[in-house]
Amino acid sequence: MKAYILSDKDYQDGIYSQLYELVTSNLTKKDFQIEHREIGRDELAFCKGCFGCWIKQPGECTIKDSMAEINNNFINSDVVVYLSPVIFGQFSANIKSAFDRWLPNILPFFMTRPDGSTMHPPRYLTYPKQIIIGYGEAISDEDAQLFIDITKKHRYNIEVLVFSGRDSDCTSFLNQTKLERVGGQL
Amino acid sequence: MSTSKNIVLINGSPKINEESVSGYLVSMLSDRIGADGGSKIIINVRQSLTHRQTQSDFDVISNADSVVIVFPLYIFCLPAMLTRFLEDYYHYYAGTGKTAGHQKVYAIVNCGFPEAEINTEAARVIQSFSRHINAQYRFSILIGSGGMLLGAKGAPFMKKALIKLQNAFDEIKNDSLNDGIQNLENVLINVNFPRRLYFFMGDRGFIHDAHKNGLKKKDMLRKPYQVNEPVNSVFMDNSI
Repeated sequence: MKAYILSDKDYQDGIYSQLYELVTSNLTKKDFQIEHREIGRDELAFCKGCFGCWIKQPGECTIKDSMAEINNNFINSDVVVYLSPVIFGQFSANIKSAFDRWLPNILPFFMTRPDGSTMHPPRYLTYPKQIIIGYGEAISDEDAQLFIDITKKHRYNIEVLVFSGRDSDCTSFLNQTKLERVGGQL
Repeated sequence: MSTSKNIVLINGSPKINEESVSGYLVSMLSDRIGADGGSKIIINVRQSLTHRQTQSDFDVISNADSVVIVFPLYIFCLPAMLTRFLEDYYHYYAGTGKTAGHQKVYAIVNCGFPEAEINTEAARVIQSFSRHINAQYRFSILIGSGGMLLGAKGAPFMKKALIKLQNAFDEIKNDSLNDGIQNLENVLINVNFPRRLYFFMGDRGFIHDAHKNGLKKKDMLRKPYQVNEPVNSVFMDNSI
């Protein structure tokens, strides 16, 4: 099984190193083959909202940089783990750039989900299990809750944790999460 | 009531040459504020980053009495480009040691989905940003079906939404000019338009644009990274 880890090259402090070690040792014990990709400032162009990935080159971003490699690895992994500093209760700009340019992996059309909310349909039948772990020193309660809400209020099949330095929080989170590809809605 | 205030309007749309809803909203708000009460400066985030003029733009923002951040929702929160700009502004702010406790911050967020309330978390990010720069977050205007502001602005069904929008702009104007602090709620603006028809027209629009690029509908369902997966037949029927 393959795990793909995406992290922010510009926020690698002590708590990041602790988290990275916890995640990789947990996945290694579960026999995952790990590929790690760090994203630094200016490595990925910003999504410009052109929808070329839907109407010009379906399934692929029209900006020619390493995002094609990231999306290819994403789709062909069993688990994808995002390690992002919590900035204003959201992802860092480097990690958010990878999220924005994930858009080619879904279809343009509109659909209504069972809870009545709107979403775009999946392009693929199955996707890797996605795990988002936010980290930082002294994250406020408001920012921690916001970091969770941004994903959990709007997306299905993604697990989120805010890591503030306690090893057992991360270990039990990873042990309770089913680490395999998922189908269904996004 | 103070009569001389500096207002900065930040256009956070990542679009390059196309007309953007955020740009349109900035222009509408600028007109609504008019010449009353002080200076008014518009900052375009893409231009600021591209032309490497963030330092001078940050100087302008740090001296503003009020800042209005206007942007589209990208994957349920801020576009990465605006996130970069605000991250960099935070580092600038921390470096200057300024205490901007008087500064008021507003957000105007628009999304392509019909539900205005899905912008709520993005507004909370601006609220958190305001806390980090010791400014006063005031309230946000959250807009659903944002594309219709450009595509159907003259249509009769847009009238209610546009009136509500103008009233919300007045609320920003009055609050930014007023020294008093009263609690204000977010304003949600939904367009009164049948949901199914909105989806139908949106889907048709994407298919039409793909046709202009020489693509058929089945081409839009390509799976470049998993070529062996079957196409999802739900989206091949004639309902779209």
